[in-house]
Amino acid sequence: MDPYSAEGELINLHNHFHQGQFQETVDYDVSALSSENALPARVLQHRARIALGQAEDVIADVEGESKPELAAVGALAALSLGRTDEAVKTIEELAASSGDNATVQVLGGTVLQAAGKSEEALALLSQHSANLDAVALITQIYLQQNRIDLALKEVKAARSWAQDSLLVNLTESWVGLRLGGEKYQQAFYVFEELAQAPSTSSVTSLVSQAVCELHLGRVEEAETALKQAIGKQPDYADAIANLVVLNIVTGKDPKDVMASLKKTSPAHPLLTDLEEKSAAFDKAATKYTAKASS
Amino acid sequence: MQASTGMLTKFESKSSRAKGIAFHPVRPWILVSLHSSTIQLWDYRMGTLIDRFEDHDGPVRGIDFHRTQPLFVSGGDDYKIKVWSYQSRRCLFTLNGHLDYVRTVFFHHELPWIISASDDQTIRIWNWQNRSQICTMTGHNHYVMCAQFHPKDDLVVSASLDQSVRVWDISGLRKKHSAPTSMSTYDDRMSQSNAQQTDMFGNTDAMVKFVLEGHDRGVNWVAFHPTAPHIVSAGDDRLVKLWRFSETKAWEVDTCRGHFQNSSGCLFHPHQDLILSCGEDKTIRVWDSLKRTAVQSFKRENDRFWVIAAHPTINLFAAGHDNGVMVFKLERERPASTVYQNSLFFITKEKHVRSFDFQKNAESPTLLSLKRLGSAWVPPRTLSYNPAERSVLVTSPAEGGSYELISLPRDGSGALEAADSKRGQGNSAIFVARNRFAVLNTATQTIDIKDLSNNTARSFKPPVGTSDIYFGGTGNLLVITPTAVHLYDIQQKKSIAELAVNGVKYVIWSNDGLHAALLSKHNVTIVTKTLEQVSTLHETIRIKSAAWDDAGVLVYSTLNHIKYTLMNGDNGIIMSLDQTVYLVRIKGRSVFCLDRNSKPKVINIDPTEYRFKLSLVKRDYQEMLHIIKTSSLVGQSIISYLQKKGYPEIALQFVQDPATRFELAIECGNLDVAFETAKQLDRPKLWTRLGTEALSHGNHKIVETVYQKLKQFDKLTFLYLLTGDHSKLARMAKIAEHRGDSLARFQSSLFLGDLEDRIQMFKDADQFPLAYMLAKANGLEDECQSILDGIGISEDQLALPTLGEPLSQPRPVVETFKANWPTKATSQSFFEKALAGQLEGLSLDDEPTAATNGLDDAADDDGLTKNGALEADDDEDAAGWDMGDDIVPETDNDFVNIESTDAAGAGSSEADLWARNSPLAADHVAAGSFESAMNVLNRQVGAVNFAPLKDRFLEIYEASKTYLSASPGLPPLVNYVRRTVDETDPRKALPIIPRDLEYLASNDLQRGYDTMKANKLEDGIQIFKGILRAVLVNAVASESEVAEAKKLITSAGEYAVAMSIELSRRRLGSPEQLGATPELQKRSLELSAYFTIPKIEVPHRQLALLNAMNLAYKSKNYSSALSFANRILANGGANRILETAKKIKAQSERNPHDAFEIEYDPFAEFEICAASHTPIYSGTAYEECAFDGSKYHSKYKGTVCTVCDVCEVGKRGSGLKLYD
Repeated sequence: MDPYSAEGELINLHNHFHQGQFQETVDYDVSALSSENALPARVLQHRARIALGQAEDVIADVEGESKPELAAVGALAALSLGRTDEAVKTIEELAASSGDNATVQVLGGTVLQAAGKSEEALALLSQHSANLDAVALITQIYLQQNRIDLALKEVKAARSWAQDSLLVNLTESWVGLRLGGEKYQQAFYVFEELAQAPSTSSVTSLVSQAVCELHLGRVEEAETALKQAIGKQPDYADAIANLVVLNIVTGKDPKDVMASLKKTSPAHPLLTDLEEKSAAFDKAATKYTAKASS
Repeated sequence: MQASTGMLTKFESKSSRAKGIAFHPVRPWILVSLHSSTIQLWDYRMGTLIDRFEDHDGPVRGIDFHRTQPLFVSGGDDYKIKVWSYQSRRCLFTLNGHLDYVRTVFFHHELPWIISASDDQTIRIWNWQNRSQICTMTGHNHYVMCAQFHPKDDLVVSASLDQSVRVWDISGLRKKHSAPTSMSTYDDRMSQSNAQQTDMFGNTDAMVKFVLEGHDRGVNWVAFHPTAPHIVSAGDDRLVKLWRFSETKAWEVDTCRGHFQNSSGCLFHPHQDLILSCGEDKTIRVWDSLKRTAVQSFKRENDRFWVIAAHPTINLFAAGHDNGVMVFKLERERPASTVYQNSLFFITKEKHVRSFDFQKNAESPTLLSLKRLGSAWVPPRTLSYNPAERSVLVTSPAEGGSYELISLPRDGSGALEAADSKRGQGNSAIFVARNRFAVLNTATQTIDIKDLSNNTARSFKPPVGTSDIYFGGTGNLLVITPTAVHLYDIQQKKSIAELAVNGVKYVIWSNDGLHAALLSKHNVTIVTKTLEQVSTLHETIRIKSAAWDDAGVLVYSTLNHIKYTLMNGDNGIIMSLDQTVYLVRIKGRSVFCLDRNSKPKVINIDPTEYRFKLSLVKRDYQEMLHIIKTSSLVGQSIISYLQKKGYPEIALQFVQDPATRFELAIECGNLDVAFETAKQLDRPKLWTRLGTEALSHGNHKIVETVYQKLKQFDKLTFLYLLTGDHSKLARMAKIAEHRGDSLARFQSSLFLGDLEDRIQMFKDADQFPLAYMLAKANGLEDECQSILDGIGISEDQLALPTLGEPLSQPRPVVETFKANWPTKATSQSFFEKALAGQLEGLSLDDEPTAATNGLDDAADDDGLTKNGALEADDDEDAAGWDMGDDIVPETDNDFVNIESTDAAGAGSSEADLWARNSPLAADHVAAGSFESAMNVLNRQVGAVNFAPLKDRFLEIYEASKTYLSASPGLPPLVNYVRRTVDETDPRKALPIIPRDLEYLASNDLQRGYDTMKANKLEDGIQIFKGILRAVLVNAVASESEVAEAKKLITSAGEYAVAMSIELSRRRLGSPEQLGATPELQKRSLELSAYFTIPKIEVPHRQLALLNAMNLAYKSKNYSSALSFANRILANGGANRILETAKKIKAQSERNPHDAFEIEYDPFAEFEICAASHTPIYSGTAYEECAFDGSKYHSKYKGTVCTVCDVCEVGKRGSGLKLYD
C-alpha cells in the first residue's frame, strides 16, 4: 500500500510537508511508525529541515549513510548550501546506480532542475511509478519550460489515479495559474482552503493565495494575505517579492519592500531578472540617439 | 622509416577472413568477399552493411565491380565465376569452366570481358554479355594467383606460384571480337574463328609476351601501373618487385625489402609515386616508387593481410585481413587553410601557399613554396596567418611534429623558397597576438609562447592530455583535451573555464568573435566566448568542417551534406554533396570551400530556409515577410516546423494543398481561408468543422452557407430566427412545404407567427379541434365559424378548455442578419496583419534590401525540394535492403539528436506571446522585449532618448510576473499577470500595465494640480513629465479611452511647458539682480507673460495671470498689467484674485504705458516654443513632438523634446498606439 495514500501512515507527515508546514513536519512524532515507513519519514523530515535552512545539520546527520535515499538527501542539502556541482555529481551517480528509487528520483529531479539540467531531471523523474511527488516536479519543470500543454497532460493523468489528493490539487492549481480565466478562481479556492484553516495554514499557502488574488485583480485581498504571510515569517522572500509586484500594480512606491527583499534574499529571481533587464534596457537604449543634440 | 601516424582508418568491419576487395568507382561502396563464402556490400562512409550475397560454395577469393553497369563478378573455390546484379540483388548467371579454385576475377575496363585466374593453371577470358568463354591462356605450370588486364593496352599480367610473372598480349583477341561484323554469314564467322582457333600453337588470341623471373618463391599478386609501363609484384619470398617493360623487353628494376612474411598483395598508388603492399607479417607498407625506399608502415597486432585495393579516383585504400577489412587513407586530405578578413590562405597539394580573395573571387599565384617543409609525403597540417607581419605559421606532423614560421614575400609573387624561416618542434602552432605565437608539444605536454624571433617568452603546462590548441580570443587559448575544452588564460597560466566535450577536433569562431563552434567527429557544440554551451547537436555522418554566416548561423559540412544549425539547435540540410568539401566562408548565398585537392570552390546555396527560421527565432517579421513574399518556401518540413513552433498562420502562407490549408486555417482561426478551401474540397466533414468553428466565432454568414451546403434545414431555420431574417425564414417555410415536411413547416410558421398557415396545416391534417383552438385563441372568429361550418357542428356543442395567452412571435434581440455579429476577434497575429498590409512601417517598399540580397531568385527553391525528394528516395532504397546482423555499432543512432541547453522541449512563455501578439509598446515592455518596444515607440512617436523611460519600463516589466512557491527546493514558478483576467487563450491574453489611465487621472494628475496650486513647480514638472511617460508606455481598454489618453497627454504637456517657462524665469535671478539688469528684467517679464499662454486649467491660468500681472505692475509695465487684469476678470472665479485684478486695473488705466518693451502682443495668436520659450507666431513654420504635441521653432528639429524628454522633435511617426 502506498504509505502516502489516504489510509497510509505517512499521509499527515507528507501533507504537512507539501503544505509548507515544515516545522510541523520536523516536529511530527515518527516513533509510532512501522519500520518500513521509518526511512521515508526520515527523508521527509530531512527535507523539511533543509527547507527551514538547517541543511548543515542534515548533512551532518546523513554523513556516512550508504542508503541511496539519504545520499540524495545529502545532495539536496548541499544544493541548498550552494554547492551545486557537488550535489549534481552525487545525484548523477545515484541516478546511474539507483535510478529506480523513488526518493532518488524526486530529490535528484529537484537537484538537477535547480542546477538547470531540466532534461536530465525529466529523464530521471520519468522513471517514477505512481509517485505524486515526481508528478508534481515534472509538472513544475514543464511549467518552467512553458510547456503548459505537457503539464496539463501530466496533471490530468495523475488526477485519474490519485483523485483528490493534496498534491494533485496543488499541482493542478499551479497549472491553473498559467491557464487563467476561471482556473484562477479554482486555484484560489485550493490555496485559500489551505491557508485559512489553522491546521493546514502556512506562509507558502498564504502567498499562493495572494498570488491567485493578484491574478484575479483583487489587490486589496492580495495585500492582506501577503501582509499576513510576512507577519508570520518576515524574511519569506516570495512573499516580499510578490508584495513588490503588488505595490507596483497598485501604483505604490515599491522602494521599501524592494530594499527588504534585497536584504533578505539578494538572489531572488525578481532581483536578478530586474538587474538583467536593466542592463538590457541600457544596452538597447544606446541604439537610439536624437539627430541633433539640443 | 616513419611510424604509422599518417595512416587514417576510415572504416573497419568485423567478419571472417576477407580474401577479395573491390571499390565501387563512384558510390561509397566496397565489396568484400569472405573466406566464409559470403560477399558483403558495405557503405564505408556510413559504416553500414548494405547487402550480403550468398551463392558460392566455399571461400570467395576474387571480386570486382563493373565500372558503369550495376554488376559485379566473383570467383570462388567452387570453381565458379558468378556475375551479380546489386540492383536486383541476385546472381544473374554463373560461368563454368575452371577446374580448380578461382583466385581472381576482373572486368575489362571497356570490353564486356572478365579475366579469371585459377589454380587449374589457366587464365581465362569470358564475355559476360553472351556468357561464353572466349579465351584460355595456358603456360603457367602452377596455380595462377592473379591476372589483371592492363588499364589501357591489350595486355594481361599474371602471377603464379611457378615463381614467374607473365605479360600476355591479347591484341589478337580484341581484333577477333571487336572487328566490324562484316562477315555476315555463319560460315564466314566459322571460318574466321576456326582460322584463329586452329592456330593453336601460334596462339594469336593471347600470346605470352614476357616471362618475368626474379621471385624465388611463388608470386601472389601482380599489378600494372595506371599510366607508366611498370609492373609491381609481391611474392612468398617476402619481396615486392618493381618491373619495367617496353615494346620488346621487360626487366626487373628494383626490389622493396621489408616484409618479414609472405607478401600477399601490392599495387601502385593511383596518382602518386607510391607503392602499397601488404603481407602475412600483419603489415601494410608504403614505398616510394622512385627511390624504392620505405615511406610508411602500418602494423596490426593479430591480423594477417590478404589483399589490398585502391579506389580508382579518390585517395582511399582497403585491405582485407583475417578478421575483416579496413578502409584507410594515407594522409589527411584536409588542406591547411586560414581565413583573414576577405582572404583565404591555403596550402595546395604541391605545398604552395596561395591566397584566395572572396570579393574578387580570384586565386593568387603561388606566394610561397613549402617543398622543404617536412617529408615529401606528409602534407602540412595547419596554417595560421599573421596580418600584421604578413607571415604564416605552418605545422606539419612530419618528424614527430614541427612548425615553421615564414614571412610571405611582400611583392606577393613568385614561387619563392622561404628564405628566412624559423622552425621548431611542436604539434600545434598558432598566432595568439601580433607578435606572439603558441606552440604545443604533446609529447612533453608544454605550451610555449614564442615571439617572432622564435624565442620562448613563457612556457607552461596545459591541462593533462592536451591534444590541440586553438585561438581563444585575446589573451586566451582554447586548449583541447580528449574529453574537455579549456579556456586558458595565457597571462594567469590557468584554465578559466572548462566545458566537457569529447573529442573536439576543430574550433571555428563566429565572425563577431562572440561564439565558437567546436567540431568533433559526430558533434557540433556551439559555445560562447566564455565557453558556455549554447547548444549541441549530433550527426551520424562525420562532420568535416564549418563556417559561420554573418547572421550567426553555423553552416557545416558532413561527408555528404551541407547543413546548418541555428544557435538554438534548430538545424537542417541545405544541400547534398558529391564530394567532401571543407567550408571556409559563407557570404550571402555563396559558400566558399576547399575541395580535397585543395582547390578553392564556390558553391551556391539557398539560405532561405535557415534565414527564415532565424528570423522566426529573432521575431524579425519584416525579414520573414520578405522571404514569404519573394521566395516560394515550400515543403512539408517547413510547414511542420512552423506548426510545431506555434505559427500555423505563417505556415498557412506556404501551403497550396487545400486539405492542409483547411487544417491550418481552422487551427489559426482564419475563417476566410478555411471557407475558400472548404468550397474547393466540398466535403461534408469539412463543412461541419467549418460550421462549428464559424459558430464559435459568431460568423453566422459562413454558418448559414455551411448549413445550406449540408442541407441542415432545422438548424438553418433556427439560425434565421436568431438573426431575425424573416424573408429567409418564410422561404424556409416554403421549402419545408415543398419537401412535404410538415413538422418543419409548422416550426417555420411558428417562428414566423403565421397563424393562417398553421390553421391551414391543421385543417389539411384533419386536426380540426386543434385548428379551431388555434383560431379561437387568437380571436379569429370568422375562421372559427368556417371551421365549425366545415365539420357541421355549432359552437355550443363544444366544451372548450381554458385558453391561454396567444403565442407571441419570437423576436431576435438584435436583427443581425444584414451583417455579421461582432465576430470573435480572430487571433490575427502581428504577422498576418503585416501580410494584409495593415501594419504601419512594415510595408515592403522601405525594407532593407541588403539583408535579403539575391533572395528573390525563387527558382532556386526547386533545388531544395529536389534534394528533399532525393533523400526520401535514398531512404526508400535503404529500407528495401536487408541490413544484415553485423552492422557496425557506430550506426545505432540514425537520427539527428538535438540537445539545446535551454531545454529542448521548452516552449515560448506567455510573455513571449505578448510581444508576438500585441502592437502596443507597453505589452512588449511587459514581455521584457525592450528592444522591440523601443523599436515600436521609435516608429510610432519617434522616441529616441529612452533613459527617462527606464523606470517606467522596469515598473511594467516587474508588475507582469508573480512568484509562486511550488516544490520545496526549487525556485518559485513564474506566472504572468494579465489585464484580461477572463481570457484563457494565451494568444489573446495581455499583460497588466500598472498605473493605467484611470489611475493616472485620479492620482498623478491631481497631485500635479496640487503642486500648481501650492506653487511647487519643481515637483510639478516632474509629476507631469511622469504622467507623459506613463501614458507613453501604456494600454487602454477601448477607443473612447484612447481619446481620454490623448487629452491627458495634451494637458500634461501644456502643464509641463507652462511650468518650465515659469521655472526658467525664476532661474534668471533674484528680483534685485533683475532690477539691476534691464535685459533680464525684460526677459523675466516676457516669460511671465508666456506662462499665461499654455492651455492649463482656468483656476491655474488665473494664478499664472496673477503672477504676470503683479510682475508687470511692479515693473511699471502698466499696459501689460492692464491686459492681464482684463483677462483675469474675464475668466472670473475666486474673489480674492478678482479683487486684486480690479485694483491693478484701476491703477494701470491711469497710465497705460509699458516701461519695458517686451515681445508680447496680447492680441496676436502664438504658441510657445518649448525649447527656447519664445513665441511661435501663427503662420510661421514650426516643428512638433509627435507624442505630446509641444511646439518648437524649426531649428530645433532633430533634438530631443524638452517636454517628454523622449521623442525627437519633428520626427513624424505613425502615432502612439494604446489600444489594439
